[in-house]
Amino acid sequence: MSLPYYHVNVFTGIKSCKVMEDPQTLAKIAKKAQRPLLVLGPKCGEVNLGGKQLLDYGIEIAKTLGAAICATANIKKKLLEAGVTPDSTYDAVEIINHLKDSDWKGVKKEGNHDFVMFLGIRPDLGNQGLSTLKHFAGHLKTATLCKYVFPNANFSLPNLKDDKWKEYLDNMIQGLKS
Amino acid sequence: MSKGAVKQKEINKIIRAEDNWEPVGPTPMPEISDLRRWDMRLLKTYKPFYAPFCDVCCFCTYGKCDLTEDKKGACGINIAGQQGRWGLMFSLMGCSAHGAHARHLVDYLIEKYGEDYKIDLGGQVDVEAPHMRTVMGLKPETLGDLKKGIEYVERGIIHGVSATHMGQEGSDLDFESKSMHIGMLDHVAMEVADIAQTIGFKFPTSVAETPLSGLGWGSVDKDKPVVTCVGHNAAVATVMIDHLMKAGIYDQVEVTGICCTSHDNIRYSDKAKIIGPLSKQIFFLKTGIADLVMTDEQCVRCDIPELAKATGSALIATSDKISYGLDDMTHKEVDEIVRLVVEEGKQVLIRDVDKAGEVAAKVLPLVAKNRKDKKVIVTKDMAQELAQTCKTCQLCDRVCPNFLNISDALADVQKGKFDLMSAVFARCVGCGKCEQECAKEVPIIKIMQAAASWDTYNIRVGRGPIQDVEIRKVGAPIVLGTIPGIIAIVGCSNYPEEIEEVAEIAEEFAKRKYIVVLSGCAAMAAGMKKDAEGKTIYDKYKPEFDAGGVLNVGSCVANAHITGAAMKVANIFAKLPLRANYEVIADYILNRVGAVGLVWGSYSQKAFTIGTGCNRMGIPVVLGPHSAKYRRLYLSRKEEDDWTVMDGRKKELVNTEEPSPEHLMVVTESKERAMITLARLCIRKNDTAQGRQIKLNHYISLYKQHMGSLPDDLQNFVRNDKDIPIVYKKEVSEYLKTVGWKPKPLLTLPTFIGTYESNIPIDAVVK
Repeated sequence: MSLPYYHVNVFTGIKSCKVMEDPQTLAKIAKKAQRPLLVLGPKCGEVNLGGKQLLDYGIEIAKTLGAAICATANIKKKLLEAGVTPDSTYDAVEIINHLKDSDWKGVKKEGNHDFVMFLGIRPDLGNQGLSTLKHFAGHLKTATLCKYVFPNANFSLPNLKDDKWKEYLDNMIQGLKS
Repeated sequence: MSKGAVKQKEINKIIRAEDNWEPVGPTPMPEISDLRRWDMRLLKTYKPFYAPFCDVCCFCTYGKCDLTEDKKGACGINIAGQQGRWGLMFSLMGCSAHGAHARHLVDYLIEKYGEDYKIDLGGQVDVEAPHMRTVMGLKPETLGDLKKGIEYVERGIIHGVSATHMGQEGSDLDFESKSMHIGMLDHVAMEVADIAQTIGFKFPTSVAETPLSGLGWGSVDKDKPVVTCVGHNAAVATVMIDHLMKAGIYDQVEVTGICCTSHDNIRYSDKAKIIGPLSKQIFFLKTGIADLVMTDEQCVRCDIPELAKATGSALIATSDKISYGLDDMTHKEVDEIVRLVVEEGKQVLIRDVDKAGEVAAKVLPLVAKNRKDKKVIVTKDMAQELAQTCKTCQLCDRVCPNFLNISDALADVQKGKFDLMSAVFARCVGCGKCEQECAKEVPIIKIMQAAASWDTYNIRVGRGPIQDVEIRKVGAPIVLGTIPGIIAIVGCSNYPEEIEEVAEIAEEFAKRKYIVVLSGCAAMAAGMKKDAEGKTIYDKYKPEFDAGGVLNVGSCVANAHITGAAMKVANIFAKLPLRANYEVIADYILNRVGAVGLVWGSYSQKAFTIGTGCNRMGIPVVLGPHSAKYRRLYLSRKEEDDWTVMDGRKKELVNTEEPSPEHLMVVTESKERAMITLARLCIRKNDTAQGRQIKLNHYISLYKQHMGSLPDDLQNFVRNDKDIPIVYKKEVSEYLKTVGWKPKPLLTLPTFIGTYESNIPIDAVVK
C-alpha cells in the first residue's frame, strides 16, 4: 500500500486497503456486486476534472453500474439540479451507521448493500467512516473513488494527480460499460 | 459498591441533608454506576458508533493485539470495548483538566479568603449551582462547599481511571456509561471553577448586558508593552493586572490573551483584549508582538519556550501542569526573578500565583524597552521575498490536517499575489506542521502575517450564569416550542473551513429567533466577522437569554452555565426539584427542552467530555468533521429504532414513531448540513402544535435552502395536520400523501421514566 497523500490518514494497523492501479479491475469487482451503493459527498460539487464536474462522474458511474445513490452533507441540491434524485439522503456517519447492520434493508429497501463506493467525502472523515465499516461491517466491501489512498477501504485508488484521476474514472466507466 | 449506612451518613453530612431547601432526591452524590440504568436506556436508542483510529491495542505488554475481524486481544477485549475505553480515557482527560483547574482556583481563593467566603452571584441568580444541586444534592454557600464539589469530582475520576486498566472493564456499553458519568462530573467541575472565579475575582454576574471588548490581533497596540496570556486559568493574570494598576502603568500596556484566559481577563477588566482562539496561537506568537508570554494551563502549545525564544519574548510559565522543563523560581525573591528574566533572558517557572503576577507586572515594561525591532510585521514585499525559496514540493499540503492548498498559495505569493494565502489563513487551524515539514524552511506562518486581516472586532464580555428571571420568561416558550430552541455554540477552533462559518451559523439562528449562547474559542470566532456596516454579531443582537439573543457566557468552564440553564428550565419553570434528582432532570431536558450544542471546531479531550456530559443530561451535540477522529458518536437509526416513550399523565407506553431528538452526538460534514441538523435536533416530543409548526418551519426552510427539496424525513416529525407550517401547508400535505403518512399519537408529557427499570416513579416527572 502507498502512503496516503494526506498524512492525517496515515495507516496505523493491520488490515489495509488494496490499491487498485488498474481501473478495469476495479470496474470488474464493482460489476460483480448484487446491490452496489455510491455515496456522494460535498466535494463532488467542488471539483472539476478537465471540464467535467466530479458529480457528473459520480452520476455516470452510478447509472452505468446500476448503483443506488446516497447523497451526504448538502450535495443533494446539486444532484437535483443535475436532474438526479438520490435514492437516499443521510450525512456520512448516518449512512455508515446503517450500512454496518447486515440486516438493514438498504436505501431501496431491497436488502443491505454488498459493495459501497465513496466519492467526494472529506478525506479524514471518509477514512474514519471506512474504519467503522472495516471493523463492524464484514458483510460488505468498500471502495473509494477519490484520488488518494484511503487505507481503511477494501479497495482504493492510488494517489493521483487530477489528470490521471480523470483518466482513471474515464477508464473505469469504460470498464463498467464493457 | 452499594452505599452502606456509613457512606450514607458521610454523604448526608457533606450535602447537609438536614437543610430543607428541597427534599433530598434519589441519587445524592452518585457513584460511577449509580446512574447506569439511565445511561443504558439512553444507549439503547443512541447506540455507540465507533470509528477506530487504529486496528490494534497497545496498552500492555501482552500486545500489540490485533483487534480486526472480531479478534480479541490477549486480555479478551474486542475492538468495540477498546474504542469505549478510548472514549472513557478522553472523558477522564477532559474532566481532569477542568477539575484540576477548579481545584487550583478553589485552593488559591480559600488561601486568600478562607473557606467561609460566601457565594453571591448577585440578585438575579438564586439557583447558583444547578449542577451541584442536581448531581450532588448540595446547595453550595461558601468556597468550602465548592471544595466539596471538587473533592467529589476527584473521587469519581479515580474510579474512572481504574476502569481503563487492563483486566478491568471490557464492555463498550459500560465504558460509555462511565464516560457519561465522568462527563457529568465535568460539568460539576466547570461549575465549581466558574463560580469560584466569579466570586473570587469579582467577575460580572446578574448582568445581561456586559460591555463590549476588543478582539483580534489587529486590536493590539504593539507600540505599548504587550503581555499575552495563553491558556485557561486567569488567576495569575488578575494579580498581574492589579499590580499594573497599582504601579499606575495599566493604561500604558496591553494585556492580551489567547484562548480562555483572555475571556476571563476581559471579565476582570474590559480594557484587556482577546487576540483570538487557539488556532491563532502560533500565528500571533510568531509576530513577536508579545513582549512577555505568560502561560497557565490547558490548550497551550508545548513549544512555547521555543516560540518565545525565537522572537525574544520573555516567558513566565505559571502552572505546575505545564512546566516546560524550566527552572522553578518559586522560592526566589521577586526582584531576583525579575533580574534573571530581564537581564539574563531566562525563561522561568513560578508556581506561586501572587508572585508570578507581581513578577509579570514588573518584567513587562522592562523587557519591552529593547524589543521594538522584534515587532516588525511581515509586509507583502517581505513575504514575497521570504516565499522565494519554496520549490512547490507540496509536502506542506500533505501534512496539513485541513487539506489546504498551501503550496499553490505560496507560488502566488512568490508572484506578489495574496488572495490564495488569505484564503489559506482563514482556514488555517494553526498546527504549524507545514513549516515543520518544509525542507527549504520557508516561514509559512510568518508569511501569513502579510495575508491576514489586521482588522479589529468586538466581543461581548462573558456574563457568567443565565439569570433566573430570564429563565422564568423563556421557560414556557422553550418547552412549548414557540422559541424554537437553544443553540449553544461552544468549543475549540479546529474548524473545517473558514473561521467565519461560526459567525454565519450563529447569525442564521439568531435571525430565526433561537437563543444563541456562545463560549470559549467559539465565542471569539463568532465575533471575527463583520457585516457591510462593520458590525459583529455582538454589536447587532441583544445579549439576553431570549429569542434572537446572542450571548457569551465566558470561557470553557462557563459552559456549565449553558447546561445549567437547561436544568433551571426544569426547576424554575417546571418546578421539578433539582436536589439529587439527576435522572428526572435529564429526562425532562431530553424530552422537553429543545437545546442543542454545536462544537464546530472541537479538538480537545475537554470538548469531548463536555459533549458527553451534555448527552447524559439529554442535550444532543453536533460536531464538525474533524470530530470523527474522536472515534465515538451516539447515533440512532430513525427508521429502525424504537421511539416508544411513556405518556407521564396517562402512564401508558406510546410508540411515537418520532425520532426526536434523533442523535445524541453526531458529526456533520458541512456548515449547511450542520445547520439543518441543529434545527432538526431541536424538535422535542413535548412541542405544542404551534411550537412544532415553528420548528418545522425553520427545518423545512433551511433544508430547502441548502438541499433543494422538502426534507425526506419530514413524515417523521408531523404528528397531525396542525403541525404543518402554514407557509408550506400545500406542499407538505402533498408530500405526506406520496409517502403514505398517517397521523401519530399525541402526548403531553413524554418521558423515558417507566420505559426501563428504575427506582424513579413516573409521578416524579409530573408536576
